[in-house]
Amino acid sequence: MRPRILALSPVVAASGAGADYRLRLDREAIGPCKGTLMSSLSTKIQDALSEPGCARNVNKSEAERRKGCTKQLQPGGAAGGCAFDGAKIALQPVTDVAHLVHGPIACEGNSWDNRSSVSSGPDLWRRSFTTDMDEMNIVFGGEKRLYKAIREVVEKYDPPAIFVYQTCVPAMIGDDINAVCKAAARRFGKPVIPVNSPGFVGSKNLGSKLAGEALFEHVIGTQEPDITTPYDINLVGEFNLSGELWQVKPLLDQLGIRILSCISGDARYRDIACSHRAKAAMVVCSKALINVARKMKERYGIPFFEGSFYGIQDSSDSLRNIARMLIARGAPTELMTRTEAVISREEAKAWAAIDGFKPRFAGKKALLVTGGVKSWSVVAALQEAGLEIVGTSVKKSTREDKERIKELMGQDAHMIEEMSARQMYEMLKDAKADIMLSGGKSQFVALKAAMPWLDINQERSYAYLGYAGMVKLMEEIDKALYNPIWDQLRRPAPWESVSHSACEGRMRDRPAVHAAPRLQAAE
Amino acid sequence: MTQNAEHVLDHLELFKGQEYQQMLANKRALFECPHDPAEVERIREWSKTPEYREKNFAREALTVNPAKACQPLGAVFVSAGFEGTLPFVHGSQGCVAYYRSHLSRHFKEPSSCVSSSMTEDAAVFGGLNNMIDGLANSYNMYKPKMIAVSTTCMAEVIGDDLNAFIKTAKEKGSVPAEFDVPFAHTPAFVGSHVNGYDHALKGILEHFWDGKAGSAPKLERKQNGKINVIGGFDGYTVGNLREIKRILELMEIEYTILGDNSDVFDTPTDGEFRMYGGGTSLHDAANAVHAKATISMQQYCTEKTLPFVEDHGHKILAFNYPLGVGATDDFLMALSRITGKPIPKALEQERGRLVDAIADSSSHIHGKKFAIYGDPDLCYGLAAFLLELGAEPTHVLSTNGGKAWEEKMRTLFASSPFGQNCHVYPGKDLWHMRSLLFTEPVDFLIGNTYGKYLERDTGTPLIRIGFPIFDRHHHHRYPVWGYQGGINVLVKILDKIFDEIDKHTNIAGKTDYSFDIVR
Repeated sequence: MRPRILALSPVVAASGAGADYRLRLDREAIGPCKGTLMSSLSTKIQDALSEPGCARNVNKSEAERRKGCTKQLQPGGAAGGCAFDGAKIALQPVTDVAHLVHGPIACEGNSWDNRSSVSSGPDLWRRSFTTDMDEMNIVFGGEKRLYKAIREVVEKYDPPAIFVYQTCVPAMIGDDINAVCKAAARRFGKPVIPVNSPGFVGSKNLGSKLAGEALFEHVIGTQEPDITTPYDINLVGEFNLSGELWQVKPLLDQLGIRILSCISGDARYRDIACSHRAKAAMVVCSKALINVARKMKERYGIPFFEGSFYGIQDSSDSLRNIARMLIARGAPTELMTRTEAVISREEAKAWAAIDGFKPRFAGKKALLVTGGVKSWSVVAALQEAGLEIVGTSVKKSTREDKERIKELMGQDAHMIEEMSARQMYEMLKDAKADIMLSGGKSQFVALKAAMPWLDINQERSYAYLGYAGMVKLMEEIDKALYNPIWDQLRRPAPWESVSHSACEGRMRDRPAVHAAPRLQAAE
Repeated sequence: MTQNAEHVLDHLELFKGQEYQQMLANKRALFECPHDPAEVERIREWSKTPEYREKNFAREALTVNPAKACQPLGAVFVSAGFEGTLPFVHGSQGCVAYYRSHLSRHFKEPSSCVSSSMTEDAAVFGGLNNMIDGLANSYNMYKPKMIAVSTTCMAEVIGDDLNAFIKTAKEKGSVPAEFDVPFAHTPAFVGSHVNGYDHALKGILEHFWDGKAGSAPKLERKQNGKINVIGGFDGYTVGNLREIKRILELMEIEYTILGDNSDVFDTPTDGEFRMYGGGTSLHDAANAVHAKATISMQQYCTEKTLPFVEDHGHKILAFNYPLGVGATDDFLMALSRITGKPIPKALEQERGRLVDAIADSSSHIHGKKFAIYGDPDLCYGLAAFLLELGAEPTHVLSTNGGKAWEEKMRTLFASSPFGQNCHVYPGKDLWHMRSLLFTEPVDFLIGNTYGKYLERDTGTPLIRIGFPIFDRHHHHRYPVWGYQGGINVLVKILDKIFDEIDKHTNIAGKTDYSFDIVR
């Protein structure tokens, strides 16, 4: 293994570009070292990239599909997270295992506890474990250090399992985490799961899929549940951010539906290990782990559907789908009657609550900048509350998503493709909207463009899932719309308006000044 | 022994020791005729009810936990803001010791101030001799450039005439005839420290501008382009006045701060003791009469001074502790209007930064309810800022707030949708506030150090803004005025909000599902 360092180093030094590592590694993978971790990894990557369960992927031409679903990163361009980040995000919510990151400090140092997923019990997942590799480890290899780190985690914390995350540096020097994990698992008698998704292999989304692969390969189906019921389901791709899962769980509880395993929000290792005994699965609001659902269908015959608890109609549809699937697999048919009863009760409550916002939202315009299903799943609720949606982003949306958007917003629906911060700024400045709903990344751009803003993606502090979540969302929109600071944000300093005509030339580059007349026009 | 010489415990830990606990328990049981604990608990609970609140608000004579101090404190505070000036309080020395410790404990600085140490015989025969001896001793011992005289109640009750006394003292050679000894009558049984500030400042200006109590010709006003700024009684005087000076300099406005105690209450430690550090020079104080305009940052601290200044031909303008975006806008635009100087780009950028900061954090403050108490202007400024943030200043209480202030607060509430359920309580004390916090709870309380009892009793988290702040250090060094000051206040409020969120989510394994790194 070791000589590979020498082979790789000159490439690194000469080019300094990420794409070259990849070429080099890929070449190695198909070269004489076949059978090593890199080759199995690249197979997995190909596998993940051509995911047949992914609607977006299926719609592509053969040639496009071969290119994979991750867009090649553009050197020099602003970009999102890496494959390691994607893997960590997908698995971090498993609460009772130790998440051990093998690499120099940066990977774990920056990702430690950075998402507000929530645990109902164990807090070990929040402990930051890393091998914190130093120069010597890189020269002599980090495998021994990793092994020792695993031993120390076992000795000090004795978790039900350890997830070991590969990162760029040890992958480049050829640390074989699969082998280390295997040896450690044998030695310590407990599952040590290699999550082989070093950052350089691609995007965050790919990393999530690779994490899913790790679960499928090493965890799912390794234990048996104490009991099974006809009402057991899996939720896949739900991360219990801000405790969202718990806004839906009481409804399932009322219906007697048991979440056998949630992958991976508020999950325990054992739940996931037993998840192959579920009767049905729902892929929640996420393309990231669809490969897990598909493979579980293939291997264990668990049917799944893609659904969302985001928005009222979606919540109802999802509950119905769950009930329908369970009945198809042998649950009593009266489940549907009960489900309908819960749905009509919850819908009535939610719509009544949302109705109250109508007078306050009348004439207000909202812009949605988010991705995937969210691009349309909240639209209905927002519209019902009286907001006009003037645009929605379709960055991560599939063709179906786009159809749904047209259905809801009409053929002229303003769909926004991916854009840079500068483009977004330009668009916000001109958009005749009163509020933008988006993820945290757009927050600061929105504010600079004097656009009231509300976070509806993951790093928010409030849970918007399910019926109650939609009402909460309305409350937060209401607060955001009526916060007095927006007036200040959109007005120039008062002394500017006094000398408005005097310094028009200077004002041309001031967004806040543009905003004021535009708002008046909008009213 | 719980205490031992090898490892000496301080009181935080010592009295938790078993011996002391036993002793305290015995004392209570054997000597204090304790009430039945259940009865004590019942009364405690009763004191939280609306019924009790009604009785509490019906109080006529008793004041419990007042949120105000007496006139001479304000007089000492402003007098110290002039070059080489020794505040001299005619009356009993105990009062003066209080002012000094009050100021020292808040600013963590020595506070130079003397009294005429009146005793029983002075109370019977008048304090003239004390004035004569006192001025002579002060002059000789402390070498001031000016002695600013104010009074305690004792001198006021017997009616000592400062003007005549000082004249007599000068005749008797206590101080040279031309030595500046301005004076003001500042009885504690009228008004509060904000009025004392007002009277003493007016006394000093009167002295310089109107002929030094008949001993010199009145100054003839020749208007120049300068403006005067009066800070008012302010626990943040160190940070605030420096911020005001910075703003004035950015705008290239020539100015005089009247009573500039920013350096007085913040002297450097460099091996030299400055009994009189900084302050408005006496020359500037006299020449302030020529200024074009005088701006008071606190209306209720200058109710007498401003009309006096106006009579001398100045344009006058009063603010109410301008805090936040709108109030600072008004202040800067007033400066610009009066002086004709434009507001520079640098300040416009600071404004944008404050707006940006507020917008970034707006959702955390929006809709939160606050109770505020303090001096009338501070309360007004804070309430206005909270309304700007989308918060509700539900209870605003000022023990030294009067009818006019009450009206002004109501107008402020009426101007904002967030003020609709807010109420103003003039002349009430902190025991009234206690009832308010129990019967109409709010999310946060803003007040001085004494608010910590309310925080403990009612569980309402206290944000310390006001005077005095004894139990937290150095906050007076940071401005709360100007856009920068607005950011400081915003951060203070946000810190407490986030601390509270953390506090309510920090039980390991129980509530820590929301103990988040990112807020």
